[in-house]
Amino acid sequence: MSSLTDRYLAATLRAVPTQRRTELADELRASIEDMIDDRAGGGQDRGAAEREVLTELGNPEQLAARYTDRRLQLIGPRYYLVWWRLLRVLLTFIPAIVGVVTGVVKATVGGEPGAAIGAGVASGLQTAVQIAFWVTLCFAVLERTDTSLNLPAWTVDQLPEETRERQVTLVDSCASIVFLLIAIAFLPWQHFQPWLSGDGSRLAMIDPALWNFWLPALIVVLVATMGLEIAKYRAGRWTWPLVAVNAVLNLSFAVPLVWLLLTDRLLNPALIERFAWLREGGAEDVAQIATVVTAVVVVWDVIDSAVKARKAAD
Amino acid sequence: MVSEEVLRTHLQELRRGTVVVASLVALRRPDYGYALLQRLAAHGFPVDANTLYPLLRRLEEQGLLTSEWNTEESRPRKFYRTSDEGEAVLGRLLDDLTAVHTSVTQLIEGVGR
Repeated sequence: MSSLTDRYLAATLRAVPTQRRTELADELRASIEDMIDDRAGGGQDRGAAEREVLTELGNPEQLAARYTDRRLQLIGPRYYLVWWRLLRVLLTFIPAIVGVVTGVVKATVGGEPGAAIGAGVASGLQTAVQIAFWVTLCFAVLERTDTSLNLPAWTVDQLPEETRERQVTLVDSCASIVFLLIAIAFLPWQHFQPWLSGDGSRLAMIDPALWNFWLPALIVVLVATMGLEIAKYRAGRWTWPLVAVNAVLNLSFAVPLVWLLLTDRLLNPALIERFAWLREGGAEDVAQIATVVTAVVVVWDVIDSAVKARKAAD
Repeated sequence: MVSEEVLRTHLQELRRGTVVVASLVALRRPDYGYALLQRLAAHGFPVDANTLYPLLRRLEEQGLLTSEWNTEESRPRKFYRTSDEGEAVLGRLLDDLTAVHTSVTQLIEGVGR
């Protein structure tokens, strides 16, 4: 007959190494029977006493873990902080790089700029999941095999020197990066999902001929600007090298843009053809207004970064 | 008034190491798991069975207890006894327990003054 005690013992011993099983089984069975005898001796029904005793001993897997000193956590306090720091470091840039590279390859080599954003996001997410899984698995194995990593102990020298408040907050940086991603996504979007004009035909806003060189070039500048945002966040504030890079990136975006605008090469000729107001001087107005706005934004951004770098240097 | 939960955690923390001391003292007279559990409870050391049984095996692995199977009674039972090493460790633990008590007493008197 398979009593509750038998089943309890089997469940406990399943999680115990074989060489200790028999002895542990004998001892644990004797202990359980002692406990049941004691309660039954006090006038309690044996079956009820057995249930009570086994309930008191608790989950057999937990009991087995206590016997074998097995850890009941995936990653314990010894490795948690190392695991978390490594995971954060890897996740901050690897999925983004893989995503961007996949997207660019899809758009250029694959010749499918429309599918590039989706492919980039999907591969970035997949990479993030893979990294999280494998890093966690490695640490869980280390935890279970009791491997020592011989990591240097923490010292006061590791304290960050920066004590003043961050000039560049995480929220700001994330917002900038999201904005840049939207700007990058806009370019293929306007090409493949342009608005529907009255007669239901589709027109890209930007001259599709620019995909030969200028639009990919502008995308590269936008990606580089995302890199700048990350570097700026890591530094925590504006520094003069960052100001210089920012100015260069601003100019490498604004100068081609303004030049294309002023030479009437930015807007899709078919679009201009479609709308009377664009044909009759509207396109020039759009170009001039956009030029002024771009110039103001660039000058403002460069001055702002310089002022902040100066403030941070004080 | 602090919650029962907080109080319970602190008491548990305070009691944790004393189970080892109590077991090493009690097992100067050899005994088996459940009998030891009852003796400890009777002397004001309530211990959960699922804590004590694994603890006994761990102390045995550390060499602080020795064990012997007794097959003379109705059912075979594993009897534990404090080893010489266990006795040495117990001595240190008891000294430390006394030191803690002394320190607390002095601290209380010092604060009272």
